[in-house]
Amino acid sequence: MIRINEKTIEKFFFLSAFFSALVTCSIFAFLFVLGLPLFSGGRFFSIITQPWAPHLGHFGIYPMIAGTLAVSLLTMVVAFPLSLGCAILISVVDRGKMSWLLRKTVEMMTGVPTVIYGFVGIFLLVPLVREIFEAGSGMCVLSAVLMLTLLVSPTMILFFCDSFERVPRSYGDAVLAVGGTEIQKFLYVTLPHSWTGIVIGFTLSLGRALGDTLVALMIAGNAVQVPGSLFDSARTLTSHIALVFAADYNSMEFKAIFACGIFLYLFTTILVCAVRLVGGRRKMAG
Amino acid sequence: MAETVKIKTRNLSFSYNGKRILRNTSIDFAENKIAAIVGPSGSGKSTFLLTLNRLWESIPNCNLEGRVEMKFGNTFHDIYQKKYPVTRLRRQVGMVFQAPNPLPMSIYKNVVFPLELAGRKDGEDARIMVEQCLKKVGLWGEVCDRLDTSALSLSGGQQQRLCIARAMMLQPEVLLLDEPTSSLDHKAAAAIEELLVDLKGQCTVLVVSHYLDQVQRIADSIVELQDGDMKGRSLVFAA
Repeated sequence: MIRINEKTIEKFFFLSAFFSALVTCSIFAFLFVLGLPLFSGGRFFSIITQPWAPHLGHFGIYPMIAGTLAVSLLTMVVAFPLSLGCAILISVVDRGKMSWLLRKTVEMMTGVPTVIYGFVGIFLLVPLVREIFEAGSGMCVLSAVLMLTLLVSPTMILFFCDSFERVPRSYGDAVLAVGGTEIQKFLYVTLPHSWTGIVIGFTLSLGRALGDTLVALMIAGNAVQVPGSLFDSARTLTSHIALVFAADYNSMEFKAIFACGIFLYLFTTILVCAVRLVGGRRKMAG
Repeated sequence: MAETVKIKTRNLSFSYNGKRILRNTSIDFAENKIAAIVGPSGSGKSTFLLTLNRLWESIPNCNLEGRVEMKFGNTFHDIYQKKYPVTRLRRQVGMVFQAPNPLPMSIYKNVVFPLELAGRKDGEDARIMVEQCLKKVGLWGEVCDRLDTSALSLSGGQQQRLCIARAMMLQPEVLLLDEPTSSLDHKAAAAIEELLVDLKGQCTVLVVSHYLDQVQRIADSIVELQDGDMKGRSLVFAA
């Protein structure tokens, strides 16, 4: 029988963590090295200020940066309250058959492939948006935001539900026993003690909204422009990478996708750090 | 002198997931006395307490039949009548659980918490009430210089006394205690017994206990529960 001592297990976990960190850093280094020609000779600022016009030698990606931020941040604005409300309904308000049914539906939604959401978006949502708002083709920021909301919400809902259900029952009993209402129990005990789970669920979903390719590619319209309204077409960084990927490997056009990768990486890191910072402060204050 | 009745249960039956826990329980409890509820594990002692402050209502698949009446002021109120608000009832009927359940907040906030829930401001009056309640449970001397530290840093006995202080903040007329000393050492248990005896005269105390010697020391009457049936009604130990 093989006997594994604690030191060996510790070393195994350390190596696993070290390897994960190394891979993450390597990805950034890889993107940076391959995108270096774009950053040399003062081209960096032109990338984030110029429009995308390869035939004129302009490889600016700022319309895509704006598109990415608009689509992903608006998605979170819609998805967060929706997910929080749904999780409260499942785990706090109703613990009966409806709660069970809703939870199973949400669990099933997490396993639906992204391309299915894309198809549903094209054939159901886009015509609906086009007919209701009568503004353009329907392939716009609004359609992408609504479909991405459907995509990221299930993950958030399940994280929130698990966090609510992990709050010890004794805390809730303590509130009810001194005359607190169910709402007070939720506000004073359940919500503050679910904070970490809420932050993690939000962060993961934000990462997914930022990094999703297919839904944005199929629904957002892909016009290279800074979206001025919800009904404008937009192109995200991920869509841009997918669309430009077929270009000549040695062209500047192709190299621009590494800049897109770097910006995606930076945005994700900055936003995740910001959310954790805010979440950490709130936790300490609580 | 005849004792005044504070709590009356009539044909009280309770079931959980279809299993009958209490059967047609009809019993009276005297005002401002200590009544001990004894019986083997699973006989329905804790459930009986939960029927007196309607705390069972947050547990799914439970069913209650019968009536519970309590005297507030000079009138008996059916606590299960729809017009009797459950929050009001729970402010009049305090409860202390078997395992101490301080909330993960400071000692001061734990004790003042019921006032906050009742919508009363945390001012000088509240500070005085916190001090009085902590003195009443004999905890003031031990925590007065660290009221802002977490209640979770207290020992088991201190936490249980803190929970009693929290329950006392709204000056309940009835105090329910579910085996309050079962997780405590001898010294901490003695402090709580002493406290319960002190509370007699100020409110009606119903205490679930497994220890017969403890019951004999503190209780005015004893009620035995066996398989959901009340037996040995109100055996009086002390005058």
